[in-house]
Amino acid sequence: MEYFLQQLINGVTLGAVYGLIAIGYTLVYGIIGMINFAHGEIYMIGAFIAMIAFLILGPDGGGYLILALFTVLIVSMMLTAVYGWTLERLAYRPLRGSTRLAALISAIGMSIALQNYVQLTQGARTKAIQPVIQGGIELAERDGFAVSLSYIQIVIVVLTLALMASFSLVIGKTALGRAQRACEQDREMAALVGIDVDRTISITFVIGASLAAVAGTMAVFYYGVIDFFIGFLAGIKAFTAAVLGGIGSIPGAMLGGLLIGLIEAFWSGYFTTEYKDVAAFSILVLVLIFRPTGLLGRPEIEKV
Amino acid sequence: MSLLTVEHLTMRFGGLVAVDDVGFSAEEGRITALIGPNGAGKTTVFNCLTGFYKPDTGRLALRADGREHMLERLDDFRVASEAKVARTFQNIRIFPQMSVLENLMVAQHNRLMRASGYTLLGLVGAGRFRAAERAAVERAVYWLDRVGLTDRADIDAGTLPYGGQRRLEIARAMCTEPVLLCLDEPAAGLNPRESGELNDLLTFIKAVHRIGILLIEHDMNVVMEISDRIVVLDHGRKISEGPPDFVRNDPAVIRAYLGEEEHEGG
Amino acid sequence: MAAGTLAERGRAFLPMALKEAGIAAGIALLLALPLVGAKTVSEGSAFVVTPRIVELAIGVVLVFAGRLAIASLRGGHHIPVVAAALALAALGWLFALPSAFLGVVTIAGGLAVACIGAIGLLRARRDRIPAAARIDSARLPRQALAWLGPALIALAILLPFLPFADRRVMDIAILVLTYVMLGWGLNIVVGLAGLLDLGYVAFYAVGAYSYALIARDFGLDFWSCLPLAGVFAAFFGIILGFPVLRLRGDYLAIVTLGFGEMIRIILLNWYNFTGGPDGISGVPRPTFFGLPFKRAPPEGVESFHQFFGIDYASIHRTYFLYFLVLALALITNAFTLRIRRLPIGRAWEALREDEIACRSLGINPTNTKLTAFAIGAMFGGFAGSFFATRQGFISPESFTFIESAIILAIVVLGGMGSQIGVVLAALVLIGLPEFFRELQEYRMLAFGACMVLITVWRPRGLLATRDPMIRLSRRRAPP
Ligand SMILES: Nc1ncnc2c1ncn2[C@@H]1O[C@H](COP(=O)(O)OP(=O)(O)O)[C@@H](O)[C@H]1O
Ligand SMILES: [Mg+2]
Repeated sequence: MEYFLQQLINGVTLGAVYGLIAIGYTLVYGIIGMINFAHGEIYMIGAFIAMIAFLILGPDGGGYLILALFTVLIVSMMLTAVYGWTLERLAYRPLRGSTRLAALISAIGMSIALQNYVQLTQGARTKAIQPVIQGGIELAERDGFAVSLSYIQIVIVVLTLALMASFSLVIGKTALGRAQRACEQDREMAALVGIDVDRTISITFVIGASLAAVAGTMAVFYYGVIDFFIGFLAGIKAFTAAVLGGIGSIPGAMLGGLLIGLIEAFWSGYFTTEYKDVAAFSILVLVLIFRPTGLLGRPEIEKV
Repeated sequence: MSLLTVEHLTMRFGGLVAVDDVGFSAEEGRITALIGPNGAGKTTVFNCLTGFYKPDTGRLALRADGREHMLERLDDFRVASEAKVARTFQNIRIFPQMSVLENLMVAQHNRLMRASGYTLLGLVGAGRFRAAERAAVERAVYWLDRVGLTDRADIDAGTLPYGGQRRLEIARAMCTEPVLLCLDEPAAGLNPRESGELNDLLTFIKAVHRIGILLIEHDMNVVMEISDRIVVLDHGRKISEGPPDFVRNDPAVIRAYLGEEEHEGG
Repeated sequence: MAAGTLAERGRAFLPMALKEAGIAAGIALLLALPLVGAKTVSEGSAFVVTPRIVELAIGVVLVFAGRLAIASLRGGHHIPVVAAALALAALGWLFALPSAFLGVVTIAGGLAVACIGAIGLLRARRDRIPAAARIDSARLPRQALAWLGPALIALAILLPFLPFADRRVMDIAILVLTYVMLGWGLNIVVGLAGLLDLGYVAFYAVGAYSYALIARDFGLDFWSCLPLAGVFAAFFGIILGFPVLRLRGDYLAIVTLGFGEMIRIILLNWYNFTGGPDGISGVPRPTFFGLPFKRAPPEGVESFHQFFGIDYASIHRTYFLYFLVLALALITNAFTLRIRRLPIGRAWEALREDEIACRSLGINPTNTKLTAFAIGAMFGGFAGSFFATRQGFISPESFTFIESAIILAIVVLGGMGSQIGVVLAALVLIGLPEFFRELQEYRMLAFGACMVLITVWRPRGLLATRDPMIRLSRRRAPP
């Protein structure tokens, strides 16, 4: 029971990270109908920027730790957003109106290029920082096994929930959200009624990238180690989460992220860690075969 | 016995009832027209007939050569290969990067696959396959002659002008040797001369090949001139059915069309 | 054109171009600031950040210059741009920049801009020539391509007899040909049938492991294993493809990626069967139809040099491997060319063009895709068993996603569906970096960047000109 509780806590934390990345996939997919294959790399870049910013500020954040962490988060979000914007501008916008396949190939190219760019500029070695937010709450203990909820886990989950809530408000209530939904349904019509489609799509990429940067920042402080390759697996798992939840649906992305995080935590906790990535892939395949619209997605009939 | 019998066909998209309890029939050697304002559900009827959409309710029976096919139970490609229903699309769907002749060869895929021993005989260049291929080219040329594209046979289909693409799509559908041909707005975007040629082509197919033709068309002149029977849809419902002279004077049809014009005016 | 208007245009154009370049440089600064401008280095057990100002500055200046060049080209100022770009490339060549990376970017960028400028210049000139006097530029490459194929095959056959063909050259040639073969195999799936397969390496792995395991456990030789490896790979293709081939294109891509990774992870963890990360060593080397390439063959076995009465030389095996992979590749090519004339090949291309139209013509899309998938997998399997026999050792490390991406890049950059394009792309992407070892490090970066640039520039691939496979008239139809 204690062990179960611990896996549950770990799974929820992991799920928050995947969920934040998954939102980026879902938003972009919703608006332009393509898989932003390079989104995992955006997450990785967010993590690197956060780590570099933190190292510049110094190990104790120059004395004001909370302020320093907050600064790191904002800097990472902003600079990563520029990456998201540029990505769309260079690799996807010229291909709008081209085939899905062309856009996907361009996205794969971008993913390879970004990964190797970071490898070249920052080196291939794994980078590590000392744990910053230490300690936690001990929830229960039996037979020497303690269930602990660390402060960093609390921060991650609370921050994710706050972002999710404010974000749902933005999409639901503001003009930007309306523009996004209009572009989703019919881009030409949206343009006709005066919506700046290019700008809306750019903003979508910027939002997706900054949420991925939050996920990257949290990963840096949660795990303490990163390398240029972390985007690949995290990207695929987050994509799986988006598909599982129903691609195009934001609550779906969160739900999917949570489920993937839990499955991964329990799989590694109770079975073997070797095959934990196979678990995620198998779920992806099964969902796509049996329920391609995901858990919360609306079924759609292909227009002929 | 009719060639095609449609009964109680209903198709919903979420809350929208695109086709609402529609029934009609089509005969061999006759042209049956399906008309109605935009969004009336005509294309959706075609998509249900050809297996692209699975209707919510309805019986779609096709009787030909002593066999009956339940179209609503068949996959889209089986509707074409087994029940022998061919169609064209409102937004032309040709293979733009393949040549005109290749477009027509693709239409004879299943026959050629059998002749090529599912590729094995074809790989070794067996005589049987070569004979079948020659026959396929001959059939393609026959239809190219009918639609006036013979001298364009080797160019990319995508480079044909609009009218040529429409005719190619009809020729391609005919190369599958259908018993029922469904044409979705074949005259859309054609100039009056091309439109006249299309009339002649359809009359020719009806007279010589004796197959059934289902025709969605907006141009009333075309419809009234060549159809044997007209079915009128509005908001997914059938509002009238009968020979052209009857439909032309049916108050329900006039109301539907006038109503539409009022909307457009206002 | 009057000189006055030109000058006017020039004056109006410069501020615009400078503004554009300034914005681009600003964005480049933001992008490069954290990742180029700062470097994490380890200091004892901890990491610290050191600044890299010079690189950052040069990078931003390069972006500024590049954007200015593009804007100037659009404004019609070809000659100054070409001159400046060449000068820049020369500077990058002559002066040692702080990092090799920047040097490469400077030289390659300068040359690329110069080429674009020169092409633009030629275009502008040509437009002034009356249309009748122009060479038919669409037909010229086609004619050249028609000759290039046979010429390359002749060169490939003669290569081992050429004076410069030492062991290194032969090894690179074998490597390039392996990728040509993989590219041709994947071309059936991606180029012809339009199915984006991101897990092609799975079939390569299945082929390699089938050969290694069958040879290890049943003692069969290469020639009996080769067809088996192909059959196994095709079988895997069918098993994996059947449930997912009805998925839409981009979902299919991700799922195939997942399959590729799953197979690799299984190979990595199924220790008893596959040796896990240690792989399988001692994979039997190829024999010349039963004659081994050994200096001292075991008792009762005659070796290649003894049979032919020549002196032993270790390069014989290399030559043999070379001709083996050449033959395998040419078989793949011949098969593809043949099958494109058959109904199944035509149906693949039609599916790529418009699946809905295919279904309306009675073509079973799943079966048709499945054959493409299985046949592509089969050739991947052949290539895999060749890889195993050439290396003598295989491990899961050789079958990562990057490998799939490289093969895909070869197909895409070569021009989807173009056989000769695959050869050219393999030569450039695999051959060049092998010869210029210093470039190795930048290879994948350049790969990715090229994939983006070329897709954006020509979404259908570089050499994506296609001639009909069946014609009504012998002669070319009049334009
Ligand atoms: N795949 C689909 N998904 C949702 N709505 C659809 C779909 N296909 C058609 N519709 C809707 O069904 C209605 C009828 O469309 P359609 O059959 O194309 O009309 P028509 O061909 O008579 O102009 C329209 O309101 C259209 O928006
Ligand atoms: Mg319609």
